[in-house]
Amino acid sequence: MPISDSTREQMREIAARYPSARSALLPMLHLAQSEEDEITTDGINACAEVLDITPAEVTAVATFYTMYKRERVGKHHIGVCTNTLCGLLGGDAVWDSLVEATGAGHNTASPDGEFFLERIECQAACTHAPVMTVDWEFMDDVTPGSAVEVIESLRRGESVQATRGPAIRDFQATERTLAFPDDGLADAPSVDDKMLAGLQIAKERGMTGGNA
Amino acid sequence: MTITNEPGADVAVPSELITVIVDGVAIGVPKGTLAIRAAEMLGIEIPRFCDHPLLDPVAACRACLVEIEGVPKPQPACAQVVSDGMQIKTQFSSDVAREAQEGVMEFLLLNHPLDCPVCDKGGECPLQNQAMSVGRPESRFTLDKREFEKPINVSAQILLDRERCVSCARCTRFADQIAGDPMLELLERGAQQQVGTADDEPFDSYFSGNTIQICPVGALTSATYRFRARPFDLVSVPTACEHCASGCSLRTDYRRSTITRRLAWDDPEVNEEWNCDKGRFAFPYMQQGRLEWPLIREDGELRTASWPEAIDVAARGLQAAGKDTAVLVGGRSTVEDAYAYQRFARAVLGTDNIDFRARANSAEEHSFLASRVAGTPVQVEYSDLESAPTVLLVSFEPEDESPIVFLRLRKASRTGTRVYSVGSGTTRGLEKMAGTCIPALPGREADVLASLPADVRDALAEPGAVIMVGERAAASSGTLTAVVELAESTGAALAWVPRRAGERGALDAGALAGVLPGGRPLTDAIARNSIAQAWGLAESDLPRPGLSGVELHDAITEGRISAALVGGVEPADYPLDAVEALGDLDFVVSLENHHSAVTELADVVLPVAVVSEKSGTFVDWEGRPRPFGQVFRDAMMGSDAYVLGMLASALDRAQPSTVTDIRAELGRLGPWTGSRIPFEPARVDSAQADTTGEVRLDSWRLLLDLGVMQEGDPHLAATARPTVARMSPGTAQRFAIGTHVRIEGPGGFVQLPVELDESMIDGVVWTPMNSEGCRVYRDLGVGYGHAVSIAPATEGGSA
Repeated sequence: MPISDSTREQMREIAARYPSARSALLPMLHLAQSEEDEITTDGINACAEVLDITPAEVTAVATFYTMYKRERVGKHHIGVCTNTLCGLLGGDAVWDSLVEATGAGHNTASPDGEFFLERIECQAACTHAPVMTVDWEFMDDVTPGSAVEVIESLRRGESVQATRGPAIRDFQATERTLAFPDDGLADAPSVDDKMLAGLQIAKERGMTGGNA
Repeated sequence: MTITNEPGADVAVPSELITVIVDGVAIGVPKGTLAIRAAEMLGIEIPRFCDHPLLDPVAACRACLVEIEGVPKPQPACAQVVSDGMQIKTQFSSDVAREAQEGVMEFLLLNHPLDCPVCDKGGECPLQNQAMSVGRPESRFTLDKREFEKPINVSAQILLDRERCVSCARCTRFADQIAGDPMLELLERGAQQQVGTADDEPFDSYFSGNTIQICPVGALTSATYRFRARPFDLVSVPTACEHCASGCSLRTDYRRSTITRRLAWDDPEVNEEWNCDKGRFAFPYMQQGRLEWPLIREDGELRTASWPEAIDVAARGLQAAGKDTAVLVGGRSTVEDAYAYQRFARAVLGTDNIDFRARANSAEEHSFLASRVAGTPVQVEYSDLESAPTVLLVSFEPEDESPIVFLRLRKASRTGTRVYSVGSGTTRGLEKMAGTCIPALPGREADVLASLPADVRDALAEPGAVIMVGERAAASSGTLTAVVELAESTGAALAWVPRRAGERGALDAGALAGVLPGGRPLTDAIARNSIAQAWGLAESDLPRPGLSGVELHDAITEGRISAALVGGVEPADYPLDAVEALGDLDFVVSLENHHSAVTELADVVLPVAVVSEKSGTFVDWEGRPRPFGQVFRDAMMGSDAYVLGMLASALDRAQPSTVTDIRAELGRLGPWTGSRIPFEPARVDSAQADTTGEVRLDSWRLLLDLGVMQEGDPHLAATARPTVARMSPGTAQRFAIGTHVRIEGPGGFVQLPVELDESMIDGVVWTPMNSEGCRVYRDLGVGYGHAVSIAPATEGGSA
């Protein structure tokens, strides 16, 4: 599926936002991904053309960042943190249950194209470990059971609310928000009381850092 | 490696010296010096892979870690700018530095294969050498090394073995910073980081071979050289490039009387450390399809002859024609060979009918060359381009026609030099020089030069401004006159840049009617006397001014010339009938190393040496002599000068025939300081200015095309740019041109794919001059600046 003319036009719109057009490459790649579910040669060439840089330069960026996918993602991107803390607190078990429930694997989509799994790195949400992301929205404190439940709900077409964020849409919609982050959906509070509990106690007790 | 000053820095007097201490030794260095350079100045060698003096620092490989007093962690010396009083401790005086370097080396070797015994780089490999000098002797890594499919093509010529790469980013920085072709990039991340290209766009650069030479490991190789030799088995000879007038220093490596590769040699004043892919890879022609024995035409067929017989037949034939002989010297001649041709013509045959311009030319150009260029000292050098505030290019496409000029102009443009080009559009090369096109219809440059925008004219009046005019200007009436007027009125320096390596040297050697060696006018009594004396003749023995260029051609076609002596011309450079016309002559002698359109109609063919078989001198566009030595001392062929010496002897005349003797004679003549031939301005030819033809043809020879000296390397040929016709969208619309165009001239037509170019002016179609599917002179019968008609065509459509 080639990049449409309207997407190219939107790419130009993004490029115009920056004093140096080249800075627009990251959101432009997200836009390409919102249309094609992955970064294709066509998407790379479209970015290169709009920014008047070479496809190799775009490829260098697109292959460096892991959020740009070289395989079709399908409807939903599911990330499971399997770094040390989340992994120990159940992330690995969550991963196993999702692999079983979806038939997908790391950076691979399920056979029905509904879910694409990825072992992700630390999302800075260790207070809510283990965390899972659905189309890059947080699902905090998941268990193997609750994670599979999310999958089942999405499969049934039910509305699923992110723990700290909006209702889940789909991968393409999220990628579009990443390209045009001014739709208000990125503004949900991402920090809650639990994450600030330690700071609260420190303040109450007048604790300070070593050299502060 | 080359040490250069930072761009824009005053070369002569460093503005301010600061003192740094390296391993306890103090040295004064200019402000802004990198620690690794300061150490080099003291002869202290810090290991490095990514560091290269001509590339921006990147500190990618970390091999050069040193300890700096007062800084908690080791720092990369290649990116550390020194400050006054800085104390730097290298591996020679610091355990911290030594251990840091050993650690880095161990990391670099983790994934590096142990295939040195079969690797092309083995024996000249910085990784191999520095692993020995600053690494641990034993690896502690026992796991499997990273593996990649090997090799991959980053272009048809350049191969990449990714597992050998240490991610130093020299090749990618070269592509981006030097060549301006950022099609080679570091892809992926972490342990998977690798050099690569986009999926559907190869590393398309005329300078791609340099990446092989600066790769500090064996990751980049050429299809031509890969697995052909080991460096320690090769014999290396410094040489000069014969492919264009850029004047590159090269190193030619050979083994068992066969050239295995050529490298760019280090010449900071000329090619720095770079050369183009033609200079690097186009050498197989020297060892393929060569003429081995003299040939004599008998009953219409060429037959093999002995040297004495062939010399005898050639000498008698030329003697019979005497003054009615035309001597055509190709643009590939060395100074010494060109000198021998003109001396043979004037002293033995008694004719001044000689011309080295084996291509489109004009009387206006003759006057320009005789008055402004021949035998003049260097007026503009490469370094002047770097410091010039403004450079104006006229009828000149440096990337194709003089690639090292292009590299230097691109370098200059990165530090503020403004480049303007009078042409039909903004070419890829001009874009890379951040240049501005001053639109001109091909053939109408004179009008544009006469009415340049005021800001450009003012810029040219600034001190240091340069005008560079290409040899194509000869095909555009009035251009050289306008260029001379512009240079005189603005004070800008003027440089003439021919395409071929031998042209400037041939001009200086006197291989042009009316112009004796050193630019001496043939009509000047002092000049005639000194030349006659040097040649052991009376002044009256020297010929009166003869014919050249169009006049000589007319004389040939009208039967006023009866014989020709032709040395190494490229028929594709000539307008069609110039070579054909030779067929009507009574007698043609061709000195050649390969069969050509000229040998096909010659009566005697005398094989001569190629550059690897002789020594000699080229003169680059600056006027700088580029002497080179003989690669193969056991060569079977003599040079043109040697063969001409034999011909002279057969006619009981002696003339110097060795490089040593010719150089000695040229040395005795010395430079000419007398009066010069005055420049005669040309009036614009109104017939040529007629624009009733449908569109004008813009055309030049691409760097890589069907040139005879590029034969024999299919990998190089595969990196040539595709043959397309370029035109503006307006032109395409006017003639309803779709994907393909049919271009028709008086001699025939070509059908080519169309590339629309919004920068081009209307009413022009551009094609390559001598590429696959489009040989302009042969196929169209006209050349640069002429009117052609265009019409829509379909792919592969019939006539």
